[in-house]
Amino acid sequence: MLKKFSEAVAANDYYKAWLKDAWPYITAAVLLSLFQIVTMAVTGSPWGVAATLANWGAWLFQGVGGSVDKWYYFSSDAAQAVLARGPLQDPGTLRNAGIIGGALVSTLIASGFKIKKIKSWRQVAAAVLGGLLMGYGARIGFGCNIGALFSGISSLSLSGWVYGVFMFFGAVVGSKLLVKYFM
Amino acid sequence: MKEEMLDCLGEACPVPLVKAQKKLEELEIGDILIVQIDHSCAMKNLPEWAREAGHNVEIEEVDDGEWEVVIEKAK
Repeated sequence: MLKKFSEAVAANDYYKAWLKDAWPYITAAVLLSLFQIVTMAVTGSPWGVAATLANWGAWLFQGVGGSVDKWYYFSSDAAQAVLARGPLQDPGTLRNAGIIGGALVSTLIASGFKIKKIKSWRQVAAAVLGGLLMGYGARIGFGCNIGALFSGISSLSLSGWVYGVFMFFGAVVGSKLLVKYFM
Repeated sequence: MKEEMLDCLGEACPVPLVKAQKKLEELEIGDILIVQIDHSCAMKNLPEWAREAGHNVEIEEVDDGEWEVVIEKAK
């Protein structure tokens, strides 16, 4: 009975088009634009991702008894207010949690969930090093490719375009390194 | 008519695509390259590239989150 049902779902054209196969880039682009307008309207600030990760780090550090009051990055009143309100009152936290949870649910619905094996230590080193560099870069660049690029350009800010140009050069260097060390 | 397997399991984009492109260059027309992938974005860019390059492409879902992209070199 359950087997028959899951086979019927798997063969359904709407399931395939909406839940199983990847959406066209244009669909994703239109949805991202709509949701960032909603974000701007509801929370009063443009969509960002990486700044929230820094706050998560601060909350974790406070959770184990640390204090970030004296850190330059968190020293402004606005940053202190966000930290004082906590994760559940922070739109960025709810949004990022939604992205992670939504990604999990959508791979499960598409029956595409798999725990992948680690192929080499080189992969681990590149992931850790890449993560650190991206996190550090996103903080000194006042945003990641969402907060600084996407939201920057859609707010008609020149900084978004500058970010885009240098991200392009970074991607060129990154691809060269990738081909050199991972092929 | 050769049939070659390319193991790209555990590799993230764009590694499977670049590896497949390199491997396909070594093959003759009519040969078959089977690329094993488990990164869903390779499911999009690998078949897209191969079809655009004029090859015949078929995708098989081997398991949850695991696919084989079968490419027949056409030119």
